[in-house]
Amino acid sequence: MTPTTLTPPAAPGLSGRDAYRAELTELAALDPRIVCLEADLGGKKHPFQSAHPDRFFNLGIAEGAMIDMATGLAAAGYRPFVSTFAPFAALRAAESLKLTLGYLKAGVTVVAPYAGVSGAWFGTTHHCLEDLAVLRSVPGVAVAAPYGEDETRAVVREAALTGTPTYIRTGRNAAYASLPGGDTDGGIPPVAWDARGDAGTPCLVSVGEEGARLALAARERRPELAHAHLVYLDHARLARSAAELAGRHRRFVVVEEHRAEGGAAEALALLLPGSEVVGVNAGHDWPYEGGDHHEVLARLGLTTDAVLAAATA
Amino acid sequence: MTAVHDAPVPAGTHADDAPVALLAERAREARRLVVDMAAGPRGCHLGGSLSVLDILIAALHRAERGDGTEVVLSKGHAAAGLYAALHVSGVLPENPAPLYGLAGHPYTGHPGPKVPGVRFPTGSLGHGVPYAAGWAMARRLGLQGGLGIAVAGDGELQEGLVWETVQVAAAQRLGNFVLVVDRNGGQNDGLVADISPLPRLAERFDAFGFDTVTVDGHDLAALTEVFAGDRAGADRPLAVLADTVKGKGVRAVEGKAASHYVTIDAARAAQWKRAIR
Repeated sequence: MTPTTLTPPAAPGLSGRDAYRAELTELAALDPRIVCLEADLGGKKHPFQSAHPDRFFNLGIAEGAMIDMATGLAAAGYRPFVSTFAPFAALRAAESLKLTLGYLKAGVTVVAPYAGVSGAWFGTTHHCLEDLAVLRSVPGVAVAAPYGEDETRAVVREAALTGTPTYIRTGRNAAYASLPGGDTDGGIPPVAWDARGDAGTPCLVSVGEEGARLALAARERRPELAHAHLVYLDHARLARSAAELAGRHRRFVVVEEHRAEGGAAEALALLLPGSEVVGVNAGHDWPYEGGDHHEVLARLGLTTDAVLAAATA
Repeated sequence: MTAVHDAPVPAGTHADDAPVALLAERAREARRLVVDMAAGPRGCHLGGSLSVLDILIAALHRAERGDGTEVVLSKGHAAAGLYAALHVSGVLPENPAPLYGLAGHPYTGHPGPKVPGVRFPTGSLGHGVPYAAGWAMARRLGLQGGLGIAVAGDGELQEGLVWETVQVAAAQRLGNFVLVVDRNGGQNDGLVADISPLPRLAERFDAFGFDTVTVDGHDLAALTEVFAGDRAGADRPLAVLADTVKGKGVRAVEGKAASHYVTIDAARAAQWKRAIR
């Protein structure tokens, strides 16, 4: 058995949200339709604001208004990108997302850092373990959880080029080295194979930044495991991913920084009726303690040991 | 469908040339259509549809100018009024009255973008205000004329999203954003004054940084004048406090809180329509 992993580059690159800001700033130089909206959480030195001040709007602490106003901008021909923390985007403004990204198919991209428990010691109000459940249930929305700078840039680029209503979740400041093949000009594949593994070996399926980090860490200890990374999690693309996964493996361990309900594991279990799908996720607990990101994840049971135990069981 | 519905008032006249008398005739015809919808199998939000009608007629007349003005009925429960106004203004070709609420047709109790002339879904109160503000922002960003006009109810002002947007619109100096308040004093469960009153409303908007004007919301000449400006140089959004009467124009229900949602039979509809002057 020969794992097909390529060695990731040593340099971690930009964090997810910094990669978003950098890529969008570059894209806006080429596309005058792109506008950037923030709800006072974009930071004081936003590169888009510096490069394109006439198309940057800090609308203040007004998440619902921001998404609805972005819809008005999209209706008039602009390509708005809005960003605020995941709990405020996906939960506070959920009705706006349903009506605009969903029903109206408005060409608005929502970029949501602080997804999962990446807010760590900031506490429960700043965590969001429910966003995939909410957004995956809205038809027509592309739902992405990229890992590393290259994938994040590719997802942002795809949203800008296609105008598809898109939700992109990222973490806070963690920066991870991109997986090989993450910078995909030719479109993002349904499954990014980090390690194809031998047929019949358990396959780790990673979702998002922390899911990928844990899967990579698990493979360092058990390199024979396969590892498939999924960038898009909306139903249409998850169905394509499931078909590809089923062609090679029968046992899957889905690692995601999300509730058990409404996450990728639950969806894959339905899409892969002939396979065994188990999840390593945040379960049902409330992350009410302090600590750094990894400590809060561990409190919820999201550890490398948990991934390995699930792969072994 | 009566003969008068088959011959809607001519629309498409250039806004600046259309006499108020023509708009008044459109309003009368639209009121007849709304009564027809109340006589349909679903009934309709009659009181609020009739209170907002003159505002919609005047706002749609402004949009006929073709300068990119967008009218958003944020109080979406007045859909019957909107459909009627769109029809008599020439935006919606087919008569929506006999189709209101029926399967196979888009004329739902709250409007959506399947209806010609409707760009945004409204009915969950508050959302139409930021849609229109975003539209205004886009027009300004593109150095284009035209207004973003949101038409909200006074009860709707209890929604936080409205004030969130008012704050943003003032901060962004969206002088081409117009928020019209159909101040009919009623809401679903009673009177605004009893449930959540709105004292010193003009002062509130003024304090937020809006220009504010109070008008008789059934005075088509006054409404036409309010909407006439292009507001190209304005840097304060405009709040139009339009005092209206629930059920306006249909004597049997005019000013009555019970007119909020009405279902009537054909005979009563005919009687009410004859009384519309």
